[in-house]
Amino acid sequence: MSNEQLLVLIKKNPLSVACGLLVLVLGVVTYFRWDLVPEAAKLLEAKGAEGERLNANVNNAAQLPEHLASITEARTEIEKRFVQRSELAKNLQYFYRLESETGIKLLTLQQNPPPSTKPGAKSPLGGIGFTVSFQGPYFTAMDYLRRLEGGLHFSRTTSAGIAVVAGNRSGPVTVSLSLELFGQP
Amino acid sequence: MLSRLKKKSEVTPPAVPAWHPDFRNFDRLPDIKVVRTAFFTNGAAVVVALVALYVFGYREYQLHDLERQIGDWQRQIDRDRSASTVAVGQFKKFQAEAAQIAEVEAFVKSRPVFSDILLRLAETLPASVALDGLDFRDNGFNLRGTVRGTPDLAAGYAAIYVQQLKTDTILLERFAEITLAGLTPNAQTGRLQLEIKMRLKAAEKP
Repeated sequence: MSNEQLLVLIKKNPLSVACGLLVLVLGVVTYFRWDLVPEAAKLLEAKGAEGERLNANVNNAAQLPEHLASITEARTEIEKRFVQRSELAKNLQYFYRLESETGIKLLTLQQNPPPSTKPGAKSPLGGIGFTVSFQGPYFTAMDYLRRLEGGLHFSRTTSAGIAVVAGNRSGPVTVSLSLELFGQP
Repeated sequence: MLSRLKKKSEVTPPAVPAWHPDFRNFDRLPDIKVVRTAFFTNGAAVVVALVALYVFGYREYQLHDLERQIGDWQRQIDRDRSASTVAVGQFKKFQAEAAQIAEVEAFVKSRPVFSDILLRLAETLPASVALDGLDFRDNGFNLRGTVRGTPDLAAGYAAIYVQQLKTDTILLERFAEITLAGLTPNAQTGRLQLEIKMRLKAAEKP
C-alpha cells in the first residue's frame, strides 16, 4: 500500500483511524503502567500494616509513662533490699541485728564462698549463700526464722533442719539453715 | 438526488461471469444499502476505543485511589512515628524493669518457705504425735516424731496422721508424695518413732 492509498484510506475513515490510534496509544500507556496498580496495592498493604502498628503502639502506651514510673520506683525500692557479696560485715550484721532483736542465740554464721561462675550466665544478680544455725525457745526461734525469710532482704531456704535439744520437747530448739539472700554475688 | 444515493466504490459488478450479457451500469444505479458498512466499521472502532478508554480510566482511577490511601496512611505514620518510637523505648525500659522484678519473684518462689511448712505441720499435729525434728533438703522434707500409746495403738495413730497429711489441702499444693518411711520402737522409751518423707513437686526442686 502506497502512501497515497494510505492517505486516501485515512481520509475515507477518519473516525475509525482516530479510534485505532487512540486504542494504540492507550494500549501502550496501559502496558507500561500495568504494574503500577499491584505495586501500589502492595505498598498500601505495607503502609497500612505499619500505620496500624504505630497507631496500636501509641494507643497501647496511653498510660505507659505512669506505669513505667511506678515500676521504676518499685524496682528502685527492691534494689535497696539487695545484698552485696563484698559487704561481708554489713551482711553478717543483718543476722546479728535480728539476733539482738529476737533474743535467740546464734551458734554459727558464715557467708558461703561464691560458686563457680556458670559460663554464659545471663544475670549479674543471684543468691548469696549463708549458713546459719541458732538456738532458742521454739517461738523465739520461729520469730527469727520468719524474720529471715520475710525480712528486709529477699531470701530462699535451700536446706533447713529443726530439732529439739537433747530430746527435751519443752526446751529450746536448734535450727540449722542454708539460705540465700538475693543480690550481687 | 439520485447522485447522492450512489456510492460508486461500494457498488461493484458480480465476480462470477453472468450467463447472459449484463447491461447494468453499476455506476449509475442507486445505492440500495440501508446501513452502510462504514457505519459498522466506525461503530466497532468507537466501541473498541471506548472499552480501551474505560479500562485505562478504571486502572488510572484505581491507581489514584490507591495513591490517595497510601498518602493517608503515610500522613498517619508520620503523625504517629515519633510518639510510637517514644512508646517503644518506654516499653523496652518497662520490660527491663519488669524482668528484674520477675527475677526476684522467681528467686523467692523457687523454694518453699520452711517456716510455712513447719507452722502448718504444727497447726495440724494431732495430740497423739509429737514432733522431734524436721529436715528440709533438696527434694523434700523429712519429719521425725514420736507417737504416743502402746505400739499397736501407735501404729494406727501414725497411719491416721500420714493419711491426714496426704489429704491436707495446703500440703497437697506443695508435695507430690507423702509416705511413712519408718516406724521403729525407741529402745529407751518403748514408744514408736515415726519418720515421714514428703517429696516436693517437681517445680519446687532447685
